[in-house]
This record gives sequence, structure tokens and C-alpha cells, in this order.
Amino acid sequence: MKCSEAVSQLRDVLRGDEMIVSSNGHISRVAYHFLPRPQLYLRGSMGLPMAVGLGLALAHQHKTIIVLTGDGNFLMGLGSVTTISYLSPPNLKIIILDNEAYATTGGQETVSTAIDYPSMIQGMGITAVKSTDPHEAKDKLNKLLEQTICEPGPKILHIKIGKEMIPLDYIPWHPVRICLNFKKQHNINSKTEEKNDV
Amino acid sequence: MINLDEFLEYLDSLGFSLGTGVPCSYFKDLLLAINEYDDILYVPATREDEAVGIACGFSLGGKKAFVIMQNSGFANIGDALTSLVQLYEVPLLIFISYRGLEDDDDLPEHSLMGKVTEGVLRAYKIPYWILMEHRWKAILEKALHKMTQTSLPVCLLVKNGVLCK
Ligand SMILES: Cc1ncc(C[n+]2csc(CCOP(=O)(O)OP(=O)(O)O)c2C)c(N)n1
Ligand SMILES: [Mg+2]
Repeated sequence: MKCSEAVSQLRDVLRGDEMIVSSNGHISRVAYHFLPRPQLYLRGSMGLPMAVGLGLALAHQHKTIIVLTGDGNFLMGLGSVTTISYLSPPNLKIIILDNEAYATTGGQETVSTAIDYPSMIQGMGITAVKSTDPHEAKDKLNKLLEQTICEPGPKILHIKIGKEMIPLDYIPWHPVRICLNFKKQHNINSKTEEKNDV
Repeated sequence: MINLDEFLEYLDSLGFSLGTGVPCSYFKDLLLAINEYDDILYVPATREDEAVGIACGFSLGGKKAFVIMQNSGFANIGDALTSLVQLYEVPLLIFISYRGLEDDDDLPEHSLMGKVTEGVLRAYKIPYWILMEHRWKAILEKALHKMTQTSLPVCLLVKNGVLCK
């Protein structure tokens, strides 16, 4: 299954008011082209999509925050899994798109094949973790996506995908425009002084 | 030392409701005070760049966060600054402890970073101020004005004894 196919399946389970953070490179481009716009497309800060998602989840406790992260990004920011586990934000959902590679930079191998993702993540204290290989069970993915997004609790879904990338145009928005569009979509006033309700 | 209750009440009054970072002993008393302070949540981060990411997400969500780190940890956040905070123009208040000065320049792990800290801040184009016990509010006000006006990160360098006994 291609990255874009997995992301298209995600689109089918969205309600529409979720906030989605996508990791840099190909995945942000896929998110731009295959999901409702606007979302928070990261163009850099490799390793930080979960951290950014956690910040959003703490700021907006009544919204569902979805982080779409590549395996390279996930492994670089692995510590954030422990921070998320510690805080346990019920509205934060992490989807790992694992192609066992740094696809964006030419498909070099990551260390993904050495890892048992569910056991590792459970060991970090997040029990709601599922793993799926859509090559083996195509119809399972939809159900797992729905459980991950719709049921409460911090959740992680690990999806094995293929390495192939479809050619996609760069995101035409400058990052400042990305932020403006994202904030507008969610009625976030940059100058708001409102307090979080933690 | 700055009166920590006044310090936190001031940040609170400006809408800061989240702090995150990695500790330095120069922030020991501040961190104790934050944990006692009901209206500011403190998130212990695993790395300084993670803290920057969390604060950024919080800020993009329309709320205000500050970040705390040692200057050694400042050396960990280059890409988080240039390709996230500065690129996306996220206003961010960063407190960095100034290790490696006369108080502990004999500690080899701090001495080089102490010498280059301000140069690195300048290289990253981060406006910075040295936080002083007297005039702390005026200094903070200046920094926050710059942060809001530019929608970019600003930094307060914190020497020994300013936010700890
Ligand atoms: C700090 C940093 N190091 C390296 C890069 C170069 N880079 C851009 S995307 C990428 C690969 C990311 O891998 P992954 O998250 O698995 O996504 P994929 O490309 O496989 O979809 C790399 C290494 C970068 N942007 N930032
Ligand atoms: Mg990958």
C-alpha cells in the first residue's frame, strides 16, 4: 500500500474538525494533496511532529489531534512517546506511516526493520497501540483507523506501507500562510489571551 | 533572587499557561514554584527541541507557552528554531541559563558553551536580554514586546542566583 492510499483511507474516517499535523517531506505533501485543507504541514523540524501535536492537544483539549509521522521522524523524536505517555492526553492520536525508509531523501533504510513497534510503544506506557500491514489485511485498516481516531485515549497506530512515492507538487503555501490558514480554519485568534483549562 | 510568585503571576497575567523544558540547577527554585503554581502547567520534556515543539504546538493553538533550558540545551534546538519557530513565525519566550561564566567557568562541560552562547544567539538572529533581579519586569516587558511585534522567538539569559537561591 502506498502512503497516499493509507492517507486516503484516513480521510474516510475523519469528521472534519480534527487538527492534523504532518511530518516533513513526502508525508506533508501527501497530507496536502489527499486530506481536507488546511492542516498543519511541517516542512522541517524533523523529529518534532509528535511534540507539536502534543502542544496542540494540550491547547485544545476538546479537539482531536492527529499526527501523521514517517518512521524516520518517529524514531528521531522517540522521546515524545514517553512524554505523551506521561501526560496521557486523551485527544492525541499518532499514526506512524512506516516504509522502513527515509523515502523523501532517496529511500535510504531506517532501522525500522529491527523494531517491534507495538511492544516498544507499550513498554513506553502507551497501551492503546495497534500495528497493521495492509498488504496482508486490507480491510482491517479502515477499522483500526476508526478506532484510533474516534475512541478516546492517547492512541498510536503503526501502519506498514510501501516505499514508493507518487510524484506530488510541493505545498504552494509558505509556512506563514500554512499557520494563518490553519488558525483561521479553527477560529484561533493569534492574539487570544484565553487560558487553557488544564 | 527574583520573587518567584511575582514572576509567575506576571507570566500568568500575560496569558502564559504552559511551561516546558529540561532543567538546569539555575532554575531549581523556579521549577519548584511552577509545580506549586496552579494556573501554569509544566511539561517535563525529554529534550530541548521537543520542548520547543510542544511550546510551538501550544502557541499555534492560540495559547502562550514558555520554554526553559540550559545553554547546553540551546545547542540542541538549532533546527527547531530555524525550520519551525522562525519559519512559521511562532512567537516564543525562551529562558536559557547562562552557564560557564565566572561562577562555574572552571566546569569544563560549561566553559566553551559559556563563551559562545551570545555569539550563537546572534548567529541564529534571536534577540536576547540578560535577566536581572532588579528591573526584571521591565526587561521581560521589552522582550515580550519584541516577541509580539515580530512574531518570533526571544530569549532571556539567566545567570546564577536570578531564578534560584
Ligand atoms: C534534522 C533533519 N535531518 C535530515 C533532514 C532531511 N530529511 C528530510 S525528509 C527526511 C526523511 C524522513 O523520513 P520519514 O519520516 O520516514 O518519512 P518518509 O520520507 O519515509 O516519508 C530526511 C532525512 C531534515 N529535513 N531534517
Ligand atoms: Mg519513512
